Parts: sequence; C-alpha cells; structure tokens
Amino acid sequence: MSDYAMPGKSKRLLWFVWACWKSNLLGAMEFRLSFLLMAGTMLINDVVWIIFWGLYFRRFPVVNGWELQDVMMLWAVSAGGVGLMSTLFGNSSRIAGLVVSGQLDVYLSQPKPVLLHVLISRMSISAIGDVAFSLLVYGFYGDRSLIGLAKFGLALALATLIFIFFTVVVNCLAFWLGGTDGLSAQLFNALVTFTTYPTGIFRGAGKLLLFTVVPAGFISYLPIGLLRDADPLFMLGVVGVVGVLTVGGIWLFYTGLKRYTSGNMMGLRR
Amino acid sequence: MAQVSIRVEELGKTFRVKRKREGFKAGLKGLLKPEYEEKAAVEEVSFTVRQGEKLAFLGPNGAGKSTTIKMLTGILHPSSGHAEVLGLNPWKERTKLSHRIGSVFGQKSQLWYHLPPSDTFELMSRIYELRRSDYRRRRDELIERFGIGPYLNTAVRKLSLGERMRCEIAVSLLHRPQVIFLDEPTIGLDVVVKQHIRELVNELNREEGTTLFLTSHDAGDVERLCDRAIVINGGRKMFDDRVEVMKLRYLTHKTVRMVLGEGPRPLRLQLAGVQEQQRDGVKLTLSIDTTVTSIETVLSRIMADQRLIDVTVEDPPMEEIITQMYSSSASSR
Amino acid sequence: MNALTKTFKYVYIGRITLRNQLAYVVDFLVRSLFLLLILYIFLQLWRTTYAGEGTATIAGYSFRQLMWYLVVTESMTLACPSLCTKLEEEVKSGDVAIKLVRPIHFIAFHYTEYMSEVAIRFTVNSVLGGMLGLAVLGPPEHAIGFLWLPVVAFAGFTLNFMLGMTIALSAFWVEETRGLEFVYNKFLFTVGGMLMPIELFPEALQHVVRWLPLQGVVYAPAKTAVAFDSVDVPSLLLMQAGWIVVFGLIAAAVYLRGVKKLNVNGG
Repeated sequence: MSDYAMPGKSKRLLWFVWACWKSNLLGAMEFRLSFLLMAGTMLINDVVWIIFWGLYFRRFPVVNGWELQDVMMLWAVSAGGVGLMSTLFGNSSRIAGLVVSGQLDVYLSQPKPVLLHVLISRMSISAIGDVAFSLLVYGFYGDRSLIGLAKFGLALALATLIFIFFTVVVNCLAFWLGGTDGLSAQLFNALVTFTTYPTGIFRGAGKLLLFTVVPAGFISYLPIGLLRDADPLFMLGVVGVVGVLTVGGIWLFYTGLKRYTSGNMMGLRR
Repeated sequence: MAQVSIRVEELGKTFRVKRKREGFKAGLKGLLKPEYEEKAAVEEVSFTVRQGEKLAFLGPNGAGKSTTIKMLTGILHPSSGHAEVLGLNPWKERTKLSHRIGSVFGQKSQLWYHLPPSDTFELMSRIYELRRSDYRRRRDELIERFGIGPYLNTAVRKLSLGERMRCEIAVSLLHRPQVIFLDEPTIGLDVVVKQHIRELVNELNREEGTTLFLTSHDAGDVERLCDRAIVINGGRKMFDDRVEVMKLRYLTHKTVRMVLGEGPRPLRLQLAGVQEQQRDGVKLTLSIDTTVTSIETVLSRIMADQRLIDVTVEDPPMEEIITQMYSSSASSR
Repeated sequence: MNALTKTFKYVYIGRITLRNQLAYVVDFLVRSLFLLLILYIFLQLWRTTYAGEGTATIAGYSFRQLMWYLVVTESMTLACPSLCTKLEEEVKSGDVAIKLVRPIHFIAFHYTEYMSEVAIRFTVNSVLGGMLGLAVLGPPEHAIGFLWLPVVAFAGFTLNFMLGMTIALSAFWVEETRGLEFVYNKFLFTVGGMLMPIELFPEALQHVVRWLPLQGVVYAPAKTAVAFDSVDVPSLLLMQAGWIVVFGLIAAAVYLRGVKKLNVNGG
C-alpha cells in the first residue's frame, strides 16, 4: 500500500527527486558517445570563451576593483548556475513550450508537486559541460580553502535559484499569452548574457536594469559581494531577490495552471 | 446497491479561443490586439458511474471526451458544475485523488522513452510513495499478468507499440487505482494485440473491481470491454444506457449473408430499405433496414426466385452504430 | 461528421500557416532586439575600457570606430542562419535524398537559400544597428568604407557559408553536428574578430590568426567599413576569394563522399 499520508513526507519527496535525477542520467547514458560529445563540446565552448576574455581582461583592467580572478569567478558562477539549472532542473526553460503544447497532462495526473516534477523531469546533457567548466575554473582561480569552498557553493546555489525562478517567471507568461516560447527564451538569454559581464561596466539606467527587471546583477556581483568582500548589504539584497523570485515564480505557476487548457481542445492531435 | 465512484453534475468547460483572422496583415493585428470568443467544449454534462462499472465514453472528435476526462482527473479546471471522483473534488483535491486513480492516455506516454520500463516502474514507486515490499510484490504480479517480463529491460523506444501499451497500462496500475481512465488505449494497434489488451483489462475489472472509464474510436473496445455507454456530441450528453440498449435502439439494420444455389444471376428485389453490399459469385451480402422491410419479406422474395443454401443474419459492427448515432444527432440539431 | 472534420481541417491548416508566418516575424523582431542588447553591453564595456585606458585610440581604433566595427560584426553574425540545423533535419528526414535527384546542385541550392535569408536579415540588422549607432555615436568618421561594405560582406558571408557547409556536411556521418557548429561559432566570435578587432590581440595570437580563414568572415568587412584608409581592399578580397575557393572545393569533396555513402547505405 501507499505510504501517502504517513509521516516522513519530505524524506519520500527527496527519494522521488533522487529517482528522477537518476532516471535522467541513466537515459543520457544510453547514448554514451553522444553524451560525452555534447558535454565535451560545451566545455570546449566555454574554455574558448574564457581564454579569450582572459586575454581581454589581462590587457584592459576593466574597472577599479575587478581583477582577472574576479572575472574568472564571474564565469564560474554564471556558467555553474546555468549548468546546474539545466542539468538538475532542465525543464525550466521549456515550460512555455510544454504549456502551449499541452504536455503538462502527465505531471498533473500524478501526485507529486507539479512544478517540481516538471522541473526535474529533464536533464540537458550539454549543460553538464558547463558544470564541469565551472568547477575547473574554480579549481584554477578560486579560493580553495574550506571557507572559500563554502562561499563558492553558496554563490552557485544562489545563482542557480535566480536562474531557475527567473526562467520560470518568464515562461509562465505562456499561460496568459500563449506561444511565448521565443520571447521567454530571449529573456532568459538576456539574463545569461548580462551575467557574464562585470557589473562594473554598467552605469545609470543600465545598472538599475540589472538590479531590477533582469536581475543579472545579483549574480554577476557575487564574485565581489560574496566571494571576495562578503558585503552584508548586497547579500541581504541577493537573499531577498531569491526569496521574491522563488515565491513569485511558484505562485505564478500555480495561478497560471488554473488557466491551463491542455493540448487538444479541438480534438486535433499532432 | 454498489457504491458510486464518479458523480458528475452539470459539468461545463468553455475555452477562450483567439479569433484568427485571414491574411497576414489581419493576423498581425490579431497579434497586437487579439479578439477572443468563447467555445464550449463541454456543456452541462451529468452522469454517475458505480464502483466496478465498465463505462464507454463515446463521441466524435471534438465532442468533449478528452476535456471531460481531464476535468475528472484534475488536469483541467471546469468553468461550471460539480464533479466527484471517489468522493473527492478532482481539481481541488488533485493530489489526494491521483493516489487512487490511474490514467492511460494513448498518445501521451508516461514511460521514459530512453529507459527500459523497469526504470519507470521504479520511478513510479517513488512518485506514488509505495512501500518497498508492497511495490515489489505488485510489480512482479503485473509483470506476470501482462507478460512484459521479456522486454522489461529493453529501452522503451525499441519496443513495439503493442508492447509499449501493455507496459503503459501495467505501470498505471502499480498503485492499485480504484478507477482507471483509458483514453484511446488501443489506438494504432493490430487486431490481435487489441484483443489481448481488452482481455487484460477485463480481467483486472473482474479481479480487482476497478472502475473503467474508457474513450475509444474502436467499436470493438466498446463491445468487448464495456457494459454501459455514454455518448456525447457537441459537448452534450445524448445517450446514456447499457451497450445492448444502444445496439437495440440504433440497430435498425441487419446484415444478411447468404449462399445461393445458382450462379451469378441478376437479382431484382426492388425492395425499399434493402441494399446489396457485396456480390461474389454465389455469395451475396445484403443490408436490410428492418423498420422498412422485414427480413422475412426479403428472404421469401429471394426464395421465390432462387434456391437458398445458407443464410446468416448479423448485427452490423459497432462502428456503424456509432456513426449512425452521430449522424442522426447532427441532423436533429 | 464529414463536413465537421473537413471544417476543422481547414481551420487547422489556416491557423498553422498564419502562425508560421507570424512566428517568423516575431522571431525576427526578437533576434533584432538581441542585437540591440548586445550592442548596448559592448557600448558600456568599451566606454569603460577607453575611460580606463585614458587614451583616444586603442590599437589604432578610436572609440567611435570600434563601436561601428562592432555594429558591423554583430549585424553580420546575427544574420547567419544555422546550416547545421537545416542539414541535420534534411539528413534525418530523408529530404536530402529528394534534393539529390533534383536537377540542381545541392550546395548551389543551399547557397542561394542561405544568401537570400542573409540578405533580408542583414538589411534589417544594419538598419537597426545603424540607427543605434547614429543616435549614440554619431556618423562614422569615413563613410567611404561603408560603400565598400556590401562587396566585402558578400564575400564574408560566402566564406562563412563554405566553412559552415563543410561542418554541416558531416551530418552524413555523425548524428549531432550542432555541437561542432557551436564551437566553430565560438572561434568565429573570438579569434575571428567578432568581439574585437584582431589588432587588439596579443602579438603571438595575431600572427596565428592572419593565417586562418576566419578573419575573412566578419573582420575583413568590418575593418574595411571603419578603417578604409588602413586597408588594402583588393588584397582583402583576394584573401577572401582564396579561402572561398579552398573551402568550396573541400565542401564539394565532402559532399561527394557523403552522397557515395548515402548511395551505398541507403538514406
């Protein structure tokens, strides 16, 4: 019989999350060569970028305060955050598509929390390359002391949460507006793009934008505000943003779900 | 009196559909300032289903079948009306309900495409929070009953459609649901596999008392699987009774096959309501509208002219009955 | 019932057609917005960089020149469709076999398709990028270079097509080619001079890059446009033409081998 309604709920939830991740990974391993190829090309891709920006930032010290190491950590945090989102919560950026094509049915007919279940049901294989890259860069440039490791872990977790829930929010537009997959994807791209440049280069309206509409600043300032200087005011802001995005994203998703119309309302199947 | 497992009262669902305009320019305008119209997919449908009943839920494409199922499983929120499944409100107590019902959507797989079915079983045991010992017992029982042992460890993408569907149904039964919703479970399968799946589902109903809620385009599914039928069209219920009653009421035609004594001789019946369906040498198939002309009249007319060696009288296939129901309802609307 | 299904069918077909057209327009606009976004970021980045350096020029480029350079390279890059996506689909769906029997050369066919898409996209991007440039930077210092831009950009796009085709044709042998294209693009962005002119690279890298075909794609056209006085257009065009011939031949050879493989194994 089912243990549902018995104590130990969160433990069983964790078991479920674990089982999902395991299935994802097993599925990816079915095509071992393609798996390695995809993760590998992503890693190469990231490395080409960073070598290049390494050259740039060595030649031009961008702003007072940003050193090469900070820029490297910026990449580690950004790539790591995107990578973790796309591997462990790989459906984040596909919610709009799932809503429009009516593919939430299966998740809705099963008892687990719908948003969580949707998010963890896919793993982007190439993103594993991003994660590997992030760890490599941390290994080379990061503070490898125990406290440094803890800080880096925290930075990754915060960045990942911002990426996930910003993506959830922009994808939930599809519940109200219909086919917004393209728009949602571009907003996500904008966030990612902004997180790979030092906040120091932006001024005025640009800077305001980064700490409001497209909250990339809360990720791209982590190398300074958490890893190097641990600025309490900034950290308070980050935690606040993570909280608002998380609560807002979950609320938006479940509110939108009531408007979900499933796939084949005219009985037309693709 | 058996317990009620599904109760539906005046359930309705309207969709807001963006009005599409012809032409590119108008389409662009629609993108900026869309116009909407309300489309009723389901209108005031009411019925009850008893525990252990086998119900066929029928209707043409776009009749509102899938929409109804999706409301009963909590996937969609209705626009009006009430529904209760196993005493629970599907859209308000979705999670609780989902532990007690199962669903198979013939075109939306629950199996993980790149993994063997055994992994999906494992995952489902986590999703439904099954106790390990109970899970293993139930899994082995289902594997044996559905005969899926041989390909349990083969990736789903390499399975045939029939094998996949057996796994699909078996997986959905893992948590011992009291009601199972089957949406087009035999679509795309060949006759033998269809028959096998029907037997398995019947057996399940007999042994576990599972309520069956089935939609299908396949007449055979309805005839061999269900004891009651509800037909909806245009979002409204238009028939709700036993399958035999449906056959009786709409069974105005009989198919008469005969073998004649002599070779191909032209047959001039000229009787109203009689149609020659097939003529192959001495073999002749007629379709007779018994409300117009009785079979007796037809046969005596033939026997007056020829020697009859063999006669069989059959009901037409369910497919025709349902088609006829749709067309008669369409003309009355 | 028949009438009903028929009506649905046409409603459906009509909807799809319209949506496809609109999706294309939306996709277009969104891409263009991305161009503006990227240019905005670069504007900020280089403004800070020039302020930090404290000099009027870096490696011979003034701030305004450099920004116009980036307007050209970004407009060009975002105008190129993905050949790998197209070819992968064709090979997987078997369409490639149909295209093979048509009395038209496969590569020529794709080249025409590619260049017409590029023409539309590049025009839109140039207008947008140009407007941004005029509004924020003011007109470029030497307009004459921009008169040559269409010619050099045409050669640049052609070279990019040949390089991209060579990569995309590997779809005959491997399932996943987009990863390769991804890495190729990253090289184009970096050592190809899209993100900054080759003159800003470290000395050693500059020497290597001068021997690569990548400089002919976006660097040559952008440099011609913004620094016409310091380039020798004929020799640039000659360099581009040389690489086009080399990679055109390679692509053709790869294609022939691919067809042979297809004939042996079946589609």
